[in-house]
Amino acid sequence: MMATPHKASRAIAASNRPRAHRPFTGRTAWTIVGFLAPAFLFVAIFTYYPLLVGGRMAFHQWSLWNLNETPFVGLGNFRTLIVDPLFTHTMLNSALWVIGSLIPQFVIGFLIALGLRKKFRFRGLYQAVVFYPWAVSGFLIGILFRWMFNSEFGVVNDLLMRTGIVDTPVPWLANPKLAFLAVIIANVWYGVAFFAIMILAALQSVPDELREAAAIDGAGRYRTLFQVVIPTIRSTLVLTVLLRVIWIFNFPDIIFAMTSGGPGNQTHIATTWMIQFTQQGQYGLASALGFIVVGVLTVFTGIYLALLSREGKS
Amino acid sequence: MRKQFSAVLAAVSAVALAVSGCAGGGQANSDTGQVTLQMVESLTNPARTELIKGLLKDFESEHPDIKVELISPPTEQADQKLQQMLQSGAGVDVLEVRDLTVGPFSNNGWLYDMAADLKGWNGMDQLTDQAQQFTVNAEGKSYFIPYGFYGLSLFYRTDLVKEAGFDGPPTTWEELVEQAAKIQDPAKNRYGYAFRGGPNSAGQVMSILEAYNADNLDESNAYKVKDGSTIFTTPESQTALDKYIELFRTGSPESSVSWGYPEMVQAFTNGSTAFLLQDPEVIATVNDSSLTAEQWNVAPNLLGPTGKAAWPMATAGWGVTSFSKHQKEAVELVKWLSGEPSTKFAKDNSLVPILKAAGEDEFFKTGPWAAYVEMTSSPDKWISVEEPRGVAWWTEWMQRSEADLQKVLLGQMTTADMLKGWDQFWTEKWQG
Amino acid sequence: MIDRTPNYLRFLKVFGLGLWMLITLFPLYWILLTSFKRPDQIAEYPVRYWPREFSLDNYASLFQKADFAQYMLNSLTVASGAALVATSIALLSGYVLSRFTFRSKGAVMIAFLVTQMIPAFIALGPLYQMFTTLGLVDSRFGLVLIYIAMTIPFSSIMLRGFFDNVPDSLEEAAMVDGLTRMSALWRVIVPVMLPGIIATFIFNFVNVWNELFLSVTLINSDAKKTIPTALNGFISSFNIEWGPMSAAAVLTILPTMVLFAFASRWIVAGLTQGATKG
Repeated sequence: MMATPHKASRAIAASNRPRAHRPFTGRTAWTIVGFLAPAFLFVAIFTYYPLLVGGRMAFHQWSLWNLNETPFVGLGNFRTLIVDPLFTHTMLNSALWVIGSLIPQFVIGFLIALGLRKKFRFRGLYQAVVFYPWAVSGFLIGILFRWMFNSEFGVVNDLLMRTGIVDTPVPWLANPKLAFLAVIIANVWYGVAFFAIMILAALQSVPDELREAAAIDGAGRYRTLFQVVIPTIRSTLVLTVLLRVIWIFNFPDIIFAMTSGGPGNQTHIATTWMIQFTQQGQYGLASALGFIVVGVLTVFTGIYLALLSREGKS
Repeated sequence: MRKQFSAVLAAVSAVALAVSGCAGGGQANSDTGQVTLQMVESLTNPARTELIKGLLKDFESEHPDIKVELISPPTEQADQKLQQMLQSGAGVDVLEVRDLTVGPFSNNGWLYDMAADLKGWNGMDQLTDQAQQFTVNAEGKSYFIPYGFYGLSLFYRTDLVKEAGFDGPPTTWEELVEQAAKIQDPAKNRYGYAFRGGPNSAGQVMSILEAYNADNLDESNAYKVKDGSTIFTTPESQTALDKYIELFRTGSPESSVSWGYPEMVQAFTNGSTAFLLQDPEVIATVNDSSLTAEQWNVAPNLLGPTGKAAWPMATAGWGVTSFSKHQKEAVELVKWLSGEPSTKFAKDNSLVPILKAAGEDEFFKTGPWAAYVEMTSSPDKWISVEEPRGVAWWTEWMQRSEADLQKVLLGQMTTADMLKGWDQFWTEKWQG
Repeated sequence: MIDRTPNYLRFLKVFGLGLWMLITLFPLYWILLTSFKRPDQIAEYPVRYWPREFSLDNYASLFQKADFAQYMLNSLTVASGAALVATSIALLSGYVLSRFTFRSKGAVMIAFLVTQMIPAFIALGPLYQMFTTLGLVDSRFGLVLIYIAMTIPFSSIMLRGFFDNVPDSLEEAAMVDGLTRMSALWRVIVPVMLPGIIATFIFNFVNVWNELFLSVTLINSDAKKTIPTALNGFISSFNIEWGPMSAAAVLTILPTMVLFAFASRWIVAGLTQGATKG
């Protein structure tokens, strides 16, 4: 019934294989439906239903100041947002925030995962220690880093000055560019653990035989990594990066706690701006911005997956 | 290994489901005729929650048929939660209402008007004039009774002021700028003034603008001057703002561009900064710090060039929901909290009290509190004014003014442009 | 296995891992340090890297004033319960997404992904109404339900990735041997994928463990609060109580560290198990 049997030697190219289209039997269809049903029920009831009901706020003048009268305004909220000078600014900042955080997180996370792949003494302890940032909420991390990055009294400047790296305190959060750097440093610190653990888990599922086979074929260490290991775990890498882009784009906690978007609005990203609207009680505008974010990310996701699947096929 | 894993999974899931499953319910009212009130606070902090719980215990022992359950969400998330509860129309009887939230809450019909219940309440006469003014609003409605007031005053370091060769704390903004600049010495980690550039910085800015316009202020709306234009249009405001920026440049830490409440207070309590313009709540925090009682004190709000200052007050209090099933009991609780217990609440929570009698209390006459008594006893010098804190765009204003001030501090905007922008903002908003 | 790692790489590895550990540990050290300081010594300046005197006041106050042990228990049960159910459900949906090709598959993926992009506040109002109607406000069970829904999409997508890494031949061989699809999945694939499953479980656990917004909104009584709610309680409009908050943070981090330490054994152990049995 099922096609495409795999031989161990062919598995090297495993993740790039185009999956053969399988003709359905009634039983397969039922398997698909049955296996998807529990997930769908939960998501439909607790996510999509409230989302659709709540989503109408984006098309109404929906303000905390008068919830009894919420006239329909069509795309009015969207128009208000797009003409706001902060719109382009926050969108560009969001992109910078994602790229600036994601690349270092991925590279450092990958290197740590590689370093942890082989057993060594205290590896378990090391993992427990290195992964802990993940177990603290982003808001708390933000508050902690805000205090550590305080120019006059913070420990970061104190260490930099004691070690002679700088002579005078660096005005971290008082200077827009440095403030953006500081929030990205905090986010990189916070997010490395995620990549490390996911990539490590994927690396652990690459059979040793694959590597050994490559070694016997005379492939060097780096060729094995890039031509055998990475292609094998490609699917995990692709999806981890995608989920992470979405997640970082929507992650205002650290910025909100460290700078609240300042100084002078210059570290705002789309989602911290959205928080400001909710604080003002402008739920219509806030949800409209939420929809714009969903739209931008969906387009990104479509392009990302399309590019990768084309590359995968070629 | 897999067996071990499955066993752990099974055990974990059993425990989790058992505990979470058992957790439902528990809301059922007892049949004993006892009434249970749900009370929600929003400016939560652990010490205050303890304090309220203690007061409620007293209330319950005086009213054996009423039980009060206190709900204490963290401050940052409290408003969001409270709105959901109010919108669902259940689960709240008594709630904390602030001058900033009374507008939307009453507009949406969530608050019960206690005016009828307060007629003949003997507690009303005990309240200070200011407290009465907030208890019954301009339209004669009573949506909340204040539990206390906040207003800025100058925290200063007695020792640092003396070391710098001054006889006493500054009484005017002019003197503050001078003293702060003299004390400031970054090489020694010594700073003059704990400047606020971060969230809610408008309070301090308005304090100096109002002091410089004190003779010309519309007392019922301190954002306006007597001829009806905004306060941002006068030449005095330009002078005041430039003075304020001078205070930042010559007497404040460079990074205070982004300082919010915690940084300011900590700069003062860690001993490095001499002056702090803040609400009385800080008294409790400074008392807990490493500063000794001889090292600091509080001076009245700073005066402008004409020897006057405005003293705008912020407030919050307790109210009752329109959908409460036990409004009688709820009002009873609010009245009780606004009586004698309010003085204990004000003392422990560092607030300007609502009862006239509290003015006679030794506690409020001595130490850091003396400045507040001084201010209340000279209303011609410290003019009591109202700020338009109830407007729908207040939060938007706070966010906008924060960003604008930061741009000025960073040199990306001139003070004149900032004032022009603010005038335009308020004029447009008022015109609707 | 013979380790043929050249020396320079071994040095780089030790150096790199060591450096990152230092960077990671420093903030933890800072939290720990603060948690042992007396309240009046926390904001001291100049900065001190060692407390003048050790004090347990902050820890004591957590258990005297607040019922922190109860919050821990609540978080632990809610997080493990939700993560377990969500991971199990997502195992099925992730499997289908990886192994079958069907017309609406792209739509299903997008539907899952979109849930990751939506700001929670949009759904909050209707959700609260729904929970009021169902009597699930102030119930840990209700919280678990919503957390399951919250973590399923991510888990499904992540597990789909891990399924993709495992060749189809494994379960096909098992099914040729007469196993049903379900038992092939459970007996053959799950062991091979154990590292990925554990990683997904941990991610869900941590996500729920840190969740603040829904927990604050849906839980009222003190006895049912979770840790993030309690931690945020130390941040008030005019103060951050660093002492007790740091102590609470330390107590929050410790159990997750233990979890990671245990879980990492399984993350590493999965493959060898599967390979020898499969």
